[in-house]
Parts: sequence; C-alpha cells; structure tokens
Amino acid sequence: MDANELLAWARGSGFDIALTIFVAGMLLRLLEVLALGNKPDLSAPRGSGPKGGVQTLLSRNLPRKAVFDREPLRIINGYVLHIGFFIVLFLYGPHIVLFESFLGFGWPGLPSGVIDAVGAITILSLIAALVFRLNNKVIRFISTKDDYVAWAVTLLPLLTGYLTYNHLVASYTMMLALHLLSVELLLVVAPFTKLTHMFSFAMARWYQGYQAGRRGVES
Amino acid sequence: MMSTISNDKQFRDALNGLNAQQQRLVGALFVENVLGLSNDPRVAQSLVVAKGTDLAEDVVNLARRSIKAACLEAHTRCGADGEWTDQAGYFVARAAEACLEPEGRSQGKGAAWKAAMSARMARTCLAADSDEDAHDTESQAQYQILTSYLDA
Amino acid sequence: MSAPSVEKGIQAIKGQIDAPVASFFSACVHCGLCAEACLFYTETGDPKYTPINKVEPMRRIWEREYTLFGKAKAALGLSKEVDADTFAEWETLVYDGCTLCGRCSLVCPVGNDISGMIRKIREGFAAAGYAPEGLIGASTRAVEIGSPMGVKLPAVQAQIKHLQKNTGLDVPIDAKGAEYLVLLSSMEIMNFPEYLEAIARIMHQAGKSWTIASKAFEATNSGIQIGVSDIAKLLVSRVVDAADELGVKTVISPECGHAFTAIRWDGANLIGRPYGFEVKHILEVLDEFVKKGLIKTEGMEDAKLTYHDPCQIARKGGVVEQPRNLLNRIASNFVEMEDAGEMNWCCGGGGGVSANERADELKLTAFNRKKAQLEALGVDTLVTACANCRLTLEEGLEENNMDIPIVGLTEMLAEYLVEDDKEQA
Repeated sequence: MDANELLAWARGSGFDIALTIFVAGMLLRLLEVLALGNKPDLSAPRGSGPKGGVQTLLSRNLPRKAVFDREPLRIINGYVLHIGFFIVLFLYGPHIVLFESFLGFGWPGLPSGVIDAVGAITILSLIAALVFRLNNKVIRFISTKDDYVAWAVTLLPLLTGYLTYNHLVASYTMMLALHLLSVELLLVVAPFTKLTHMFSFAMARWYQGYQAGRRGVES
Repeated sequence: MMSTISNDKQFRDALNGLNAQQQRLVGALFVENVLGLSNDPRVAQSLVVAKGTDLAEDVVNLARRSIKAACLEAHTRCGADGEWTDQAGYFVARAAEACLEPEGRSQGKGAAWKAAMSARMARTCLAADSDEDAHDTESQAQYQILTSYLDA
Repeated sequence: MSAPSVEKGIQAIKGQIDAPVASFFSACVHCGLCAEACLFYTETGDPKYTPINKVEPMRRIWEREYTLFGKAKAALGLSKEVDADTFAEWETLVYDGCTLCGRCSLVCPVGNDISGMIRKIREGFAAAGYAPEGLIGASTRAVEIGSPMGVKLPAVQAQIKHLQKNTGLDVPIDAKGAEYLVLLSSMEIMNFPEYLEAIARIMHQAGKSWTIASKAFEATNSGIQIGVSDIAKLLVSRVVDAADELGVKTVISPECGHAFTAIRWDGANLIGRPYGFEVKHILEVLDEFVKKGLIKTEGMEDAKLTYHDPCQIARKGGVVEQPRNLLNRIASNFVEMEDAGEMNWCCGGGGGVSANERADELKLTAFNRKKAQLEALGVDTLVTACANCRLTLEEGLEENNMDIPIVGLTEMLAEYLVEDDKEQA
C-alpha cells in the first residue's frame, strides 16, 4: 500500500469503521452505567435536585482554592491540555469542514497559524502531563496501563497533525494518512479507556450534584 | 455570717460572693468529697495546687496540663463499652480541672459552681448502674462544706 | 450480623454498585486531586490514602461484573482479583484512614462522590468480616442495648434527675404530642451532660414542648459507621417508631456528626419510606429560635475564638450559616480559620475512626492539619458542635501541648441565654 492508498482507506472505510466502533462503544459504556439504575432519595429535600445537578455540571469546571493552592501547575496544565485540544479539534478549518459534512452546519474557525501554535502548546502540555504523572507520587501510585494508553492515543493525533501541517518527517500524503489513522486509533480505543470520561463526567457531576442540590449542600 | 444553706439558689449566691482564689479552694473541697470515685493520683495532686497560695505560674500551668490529661484519659472512648464507675472518675477529674481553670474562662460560671456540678455528676454516675441515688446526699454535703468554710 | 465471608463481602459490594457509582468509575481520570483534599494523605504523605484508591476493590468488582469489556478481561484472566488479601490490605484504608468527611467528593473535577463510595464499600468489608473491632463492639451494643457505649435508660434518668435538681427544670420523657423529640448521643450523655442541661434551659425559655423517648434516646448510628445497612436501619427505626408513636413534629439531632447524617439523609432510605416528621439539627433549631425572637442572648464572650465545622453537619449537612449566626450574637471576637465552612478540614476522628483503637496514631497524625489551621489563627477558644469532634480535638491539642479550651456551641449559647429566673427555692 502506498501513501495514497493508505490515505484513501483512512478517509473511507477506516474512518467509517472507527467512528462506528466509537459510537457503539461509547453508547455501550453509557448504557452499562444507566442500566444499573439509581434509587430515588426518600429523605425530605431542602432544595432542588435538578438545580444542584446543573450547578455541579458547571462548578466542577473550576478547582477549589484549597486544592489549587497545593497543585497549581498541574491543574493549570490540565486546562491548557483540554482547552488546547478543543481549540485544535473544533476551530481548525479542515476539521470544521469534516464536522459540517456530518452535521450539516459549520462555524467560524481560527487562523491556521494560531491553531498550529495552540497545537504545539497542547503537545507540550501533554508531555508535561506525562512528566507529572511519572513524578507525582500520588498519580504514579494510582496510574494504570490505561492511563498511559489514553495518553498515547491522545498525543498521536496532535503530533501527527502538527507534523502534517508543517510538512515534516514524511510526505504530506503519508503524514495525513498517519494523522487520520491516529485519529481512528483514538476513536477505536477511547470507549475502552478512561477517555469515556468525555461523556461520563457529565453523568458523574449530575448524579452527585442532584443529590447535593436536593439536600441543600455544597457541590 | 451566712445562715445555713439549704438550697441551690443560696448555694450559688454564696459561691458568687467568693473571690477567685476562694472559689478554687472551695471547689477543691467539693472535689475532695468525691475523691474516692477516682483512682487517678493526678486529681489529688491538682487539688494541692488549687488550694495553694502564691504559687509560681509554671507550677499552676503544669498542674493544669496534668489534670487536663487526666480528664482526657478518663473519658470513655466513642463507641467503647461505657463503665459508669470509671466515668465517675472522669467527672471527678473535670471537677478538679474546674478548680484550676484560668480566670476569665469560666464564662460567667464560677469555678466552684462548676466543680460542684461535676462532683455531683460523679456521684450520679454511680446511680446509673444501680438504684442508689446519692445526688441529693452530695448536694447536701456540698452545702455543709460551704457553710463550714464560710463559718470558719 | 450473620457469619462473614469474603464471598458475602463481594456480593455486598456488588449490591452497592448503582448508576452513580458506575458513572464515577467511568469518569475517573486518575488526576489524584482527591488526595490533595484528604487529610490522611496530606498529613502522612502516603499515596495509599488517595481516596479513589480506597475504593479500588469496588472498581474491580464493577469492571468485572458490570462492563462487557471487564467481563472479557476477566474471562481472559486479565483482571485483578478481589480476595481475602484484598480485604485485609484495604481494611485500614477504608476504616482507619477515612472519616467519610466528604472533602474528596467536593473537589473531584469530574464530580465523583468518592466518600459516598467509601461508605458503600464498607458494607462489603463488614460482610466479609474485615471491620475494626471497636466498631463491631459498638454496633453490637447499639443493637442489643440501645447505645453503642452501653448507656441504658436508668443512666439517662439519673442524669435527668441531676439536671432537674440543679436547674429546677423538667425533662419530659415520652410526652405524647410534644413538638420536638430530642435525641442524644452516648458521647454527650457520658462525657458532656451539659448539653442536655443547655437544651432544657433553651427549650424552657423558648416555651417549646419537647420530650425524650425512653425507647429511642440514642442518636448515634453505629450501623452507618461500620457500614452495615441492616444495623443502621434497625437503629433508625427505633427513632422513627418513637417519633411516630409520640406524634412529634420535629426530631432534633444532637451535636454529633454522623447522627445527623443517619437520621436526616439515610433514615428514610433505610426504612424505605418518607418520614411523617421533620428532622433538624440542633443548630438549625437554635438559629430558628433566635431569629423568631423565642430566645434572646445577653452579653458576649470576648475571648478570641474560632469555629470548627463538623464535616457531617457543615459540608454534608448544609448547616454552615446557622452556627455563625449564633456565634456572632455571643462572641465579639470570632475569627474564621482558613478553609472555614464547606471546605473545612476534618478533625480526623469521625466516621468511626475514634471508636477504632488501632487508628489512634493515624488519627493524631491527621490532626496536624487542624493544628496548622489553629496555629495560623492564634485563638483562645475553639467552638464546635459535635461531641466526637470535641474529644478528638481535645486529644489532638493535648498531644501537641496546645492549650485551647473547647466548648460546644449549644452549651455556650445557653451561657448567654436571657432566662426568666425560675430556679426553685
């Protein structure tokens, strides 16, 4: 298979397979959670569950001061990582075109030069995250293979994307093919790793927030 | 001269008329009356300090720490099988602790009154396990102790 | 409790896994921030106390039983076991090194209620026979005698007599139709009887009808602490039955942390139906009384003091403002420690830790966090509203040569109460 054939496959069947596995896999994970059910709380409520759910969906976006003060760099790095990833994923022209082909609508993006810089920063941030993971005794202690796999499959699309855009390492066609394949790898692997958090975080925040809202306690 | 004290109102009024030093002394007398309910030697030792005069600051502080420790050790741990006879010792220690409390911490209650209450509580502990109710006897004894002190 | 076994433990843990728990495990990204909120980690530096690590056995069971991928892994022999060794290794993490304080739950970025999961996993440990001796004793006594510390009705009656003679106030027992049913914790009955006296004086002044129930005076719920819902249910039922029988409007939970959690939040779910009465913490009631002008205070404490928020009452109970409202009325020099309120640090003795002798040293190490908070402030007095916090703090202060007296808020309020002088002659 030469670069062109690889790219064609990655753009076609490869993407279809990966997306199907991603969607089916994520749906499965979510249903596995929901199927377990949640008993209603019979205690007398003090406040509103839904309000608490919504509030918590938002409140956990920011760290508590007491914890931030203990790990400011690591926490800030987490933001850089996520925000950078989203900017690159959602605000890059060619990506928006792809989304448009599925959704039927698009949105304005950022100049490619900006995306390139953000991408570079995000890659550095991911590397920093790995350094933190290996050096912080708490995270190192609780880390499993899953964490490292998730890290790798998240890094690859960013890295190959950066290399593609900057015409580095191999021919443009080959790099693009590799980039797409790395995205497909991420899609296929994601439902089986902690990357499920991209959806389950909302459920977790909602469940705890709902109970807290009902009880009128902080969340 | 105070007429015989026969109820708590008179008891409290008489106690309130005492100065800090006198309260410590009288409090110590109340504790002595229930000393037998505690087997911690630190209680008796603290009473010596409570009754003393012109003692150095660090002697008093040492005694305070010692009786505080005695209280803590005597209390029943959360969830443990409570023994009321042992718990009596806790209240005796608390009574002694009250005698040594620094001024300004009593929150409006005199040291002697607090010591008296804890001493009565110590006696009440014995009633927890049995039918014997020596509470009244203890109050009466305290009235007597105070009267004797005032008459002296 | 029937004969424990590892199999029963695993089944118990399985039974505790619901959608929320599954969502928590799915969302956890191993960021480790929960450790930064946990005083057992911050004061020991030992990563094994990382909260999410405490529930690792539950995670293994969840993955194996409730996820397709996990089932496949197990079939291929690729998943980690949960066996006797697991229970043995995790016992001290789940009991000694956790007070169920809930700080971890509050800081998790993805919203996991980790302390809730630790409470759930205790069901498995108890069923497997891996619960601390002190808690087993306490729960057994609670079930058989009615109090985890073996306090029987005659003891309470003796204290009531003592109170009646000293204050001239009546303490009603089993008064039908009273507005309030007052519960007491054994810790208060045994170590801080001033609490009951304060209640009597305050109720009298407020002109409210109240009562104690002879069949259910105990507020402490050892079942919650050890993690055996059957016991928790039995203990709560006693209170519910008494409250129903006496027809009270409101049940008042005393100054004891987990007692409030048990009766206010867990109770209805344990017995499977909503209550026919309200449940309030004593601080909520006092705040109400003051706001309605039913009780007035006079004078102020001018010593520099601060307030320690009991975890179950503040963070988990939502009673944060009320103690401050009350304190501001009777204290002229009330200063807040750093992280006061919902994010306050645990005393280190709650959730069954103080009943567990094996955890004594760890508890004292954990206290260093509270010590740091206090040293930064430099106060003359510490006020709190939980008998267990009180003793844990006293022990910690004593160990560290810190001379700061501790006082209960209800008791303190009673000191400054304006009372119509009705002492009997």
